[in-house]
Amino acid sequence: MDERALAYINLFAVLGGLSELCRLDGECWKLIEHKNISIGICVKDGPEGTIRFENGVCSVTPGVDRCDIKLPFGSCKKFNGLIDGTVTPIPSKGFTKVGFLLREFTKLTDKLTAYLRPAEGALEDPQFFEISTNIMFHLILDAIAQVGNEDRIGRASASYVVDGDVRIAIDGGPEGYLHVRDHRLTAVHEICEHPMSYMTFSTMKSARELFDGKVNAVECVGLGKVRIGGMISMVDNVNRMLDRVSMYLA
Amino acid sequence: MRKVYEYPKSRAAFERACKIIPSGIYGHQGPTEGCYVPVEAFPFYASRAQGSYLWDLDGNKFIDYMCAYGPNVLGYNDPDVDEAAAKQRKLADCTTLPSSVMIDFADLLVDTVASADWAFFAKNGNDVTTCAVMTARAYTHRKKIVFFKGYYHGVSPWTQKIDYAGVLEEDVANNIYVTWNDFDGLQEVFEQNKGEIAAIIAQPYMHGNFADNELPATGFWRKVRKLCDDTGTVLIIDDVRAGFRLDIAGSDHYFGFKADLICFCKALANGYNVSALCGRDFLKSSVSSLSYTGSYWMSAVPFAAGIACINKMKKLGCPQLLIDKGTKLKNGLINTALKYGYDLHVSGVPSLFYLRIADDPTLMLHQEWIAECVKRGVFFTNHHNHFINASLTDKDIAETIEVADEAFRVVKDRHS
Repeated sequence: MDERALAYINLFAVLGGLSELCRLDGECWKLIEHKNISIGICVKDGPEGTIRFENGVCSVTPGVDRCDIKLPFGSCKKFNGLIDGTVTPIPSKGFTKVGFLLREFTKLTDKLTAYLRPAEGALEDPQFFEISTNIMFHLILDAIAQVGNEDRIGRASASYVVDGDVRIAIDGGPEGYLHVRDHRLTAVHEICEHPMSYMTFSTMKSARELFDGKVNAVECVGLGKVRIGGMISMVDNVNRMLDRVSMYLA
Repeated sequence: MRKVYEYPKSRAAFERACKIIPSGIYGHQGPTEGCYVPVEAFPFYASRAQGSYLWDLDGNKFIDYMCAYGPNVLGYNDPDVDEAAAKQRKLADCTTLPSSVMIDFADLLVDTVASADWAFFAKNGNDVTTCAVMTARAYTHRKKIVFFKGYYHGVSPWTQKIDYAGVLEEDVANNIYVTWNDFDGLQEVFEQNKGEIAAIIAQPYMHGNFADNELPATGFWRKVRKLCDDTGTVLIIDDVRAGFRLDIAGSDHYFGFKADLICFCKALANGYNVSALCGRDFLKSSVSSLSYTGSYWMSAVPFAAGIACINKMKKLGCPQLLIDKGTKLKNGLINTALKYGYDLHVSGVPSLFYLRIADDPTLMLHQEWIAECVKRGVFFTNHHNHFINASLTDKDIAETIEVADEAFRVVKDRHS
């Protein structure tokens, strides 16, 4: 596993999950409702991005130019350690605002972990299941883009993907798409107007089972639980990237 | 309007299969790799077959243009091939000592295939493409193999790509990929890997998926042949898919050059399981040096079937017969599409034609049309080339065009 690719996934997909968390979980939303603060993460030889909390909305964007708190990391491995809980970050900027990091931000990341690694039986609660699956859906979309752009073998998969949008959606649930241009992928968390290809899940349950590795995608297509169409070679290669996502997120 | 097929028994069987067989039906004959879009439009299992027809579990009859993905070249259950196989079965099949019918089959192949000085037998296409690559490496003592992008040479790890499940980087570390018909690119690769390339492996023309099939550019094969000669590189033609549907003497012969090694399988024995690697004399000793065999590779029944199949193909003037039938179908389909304002591309050699409605780059329109054809009894697939067999009649072709017409009408109405 490539530490650098993992760092990109951790920043833009895993911490990117905070956006959906704050949108869907009322308690989390309350924590940031009146906050206007941004945390810049700067990883040496790795990704740079800013987690911004503004007017009750959380977003994660590339670059650290305008951040209130800056967290530098000497290597991708050290940043990945933050996500594992083995490394404590030391800010290089924004010491007066560090309270947000210690209180609200920690609560948010703890809650995110609870949704991404649910305790036994937690998914039986329909509301928890729905939020958890929504977060996971968007996180996976972001992670596929990072694997296709940053992971060496993922880039091999991306090299076979033609330009266009791959729509990924759960019927009656979340949807988004991967925009592909010159074999670079961008995750877009909006409705796809002009898909070149698509992969849709018939239910939240079938999507979840696939994300959790409990069922096989090939079988699901045959059973009609997953529908694919359009330029299927794109979907085929996106699935290869998805396989690598599960390796990184395991 | 024709009856629109439904497949409840196929669906029930598939659900049963999924419990005990990985992915229900794995590989190219399954709904995922087969690109069954939508899955509801396609049958999953056959109950019987005869000539050009296939009946599914629900009793629906299809004119089958996939021909078992190639093996059905004379028609399912061809009486002459089946009789030869039955006679041999009474004598011996899988036995401790091979039957001498193996020599007869090798003799016939050497007489038939222009570049063959010998024949080596196995079961599947993959067995002989692997044998060919091993032979090239044994002969040249070099590691690297050149492929043309969009290739398919089987399922062994060396034929797969770095991002495929279960494939190691080391499995494909010596693979070099170049663009089809790009001779300059090929030359550059040879410059960069001087003295390291054991072989070029290629299908006689590009029959990749999701794009029109592409014939060799003028002079391409002549230049490739010369490059191989100049650099001591083995030229392997994977004729597993196209073999005997272009030229009874091999597809290299059709395109006017001579392969060093040529791989056959699909049309070799009309569905009896045998594959063959044929080659030139200078490589015979290298093949002999390989440790390469299999439990059923010397079974006699498929050899007898293969002899009958090749003799009948010769008698019927088969490649040209198949090309003529394919051309008739191709013209009919293109004209029918035009009636509805669609630009249907039919590419490749007509005996193994590839279909694509070019009006929609997403291919969704094409998938809709294919689905409507299948539901009305013409078994096409979305993104694989098709196959013509000798038992296909003018009546079948006419019926296919009628079905295609109705399918175009349905799609047109849906979008107008």
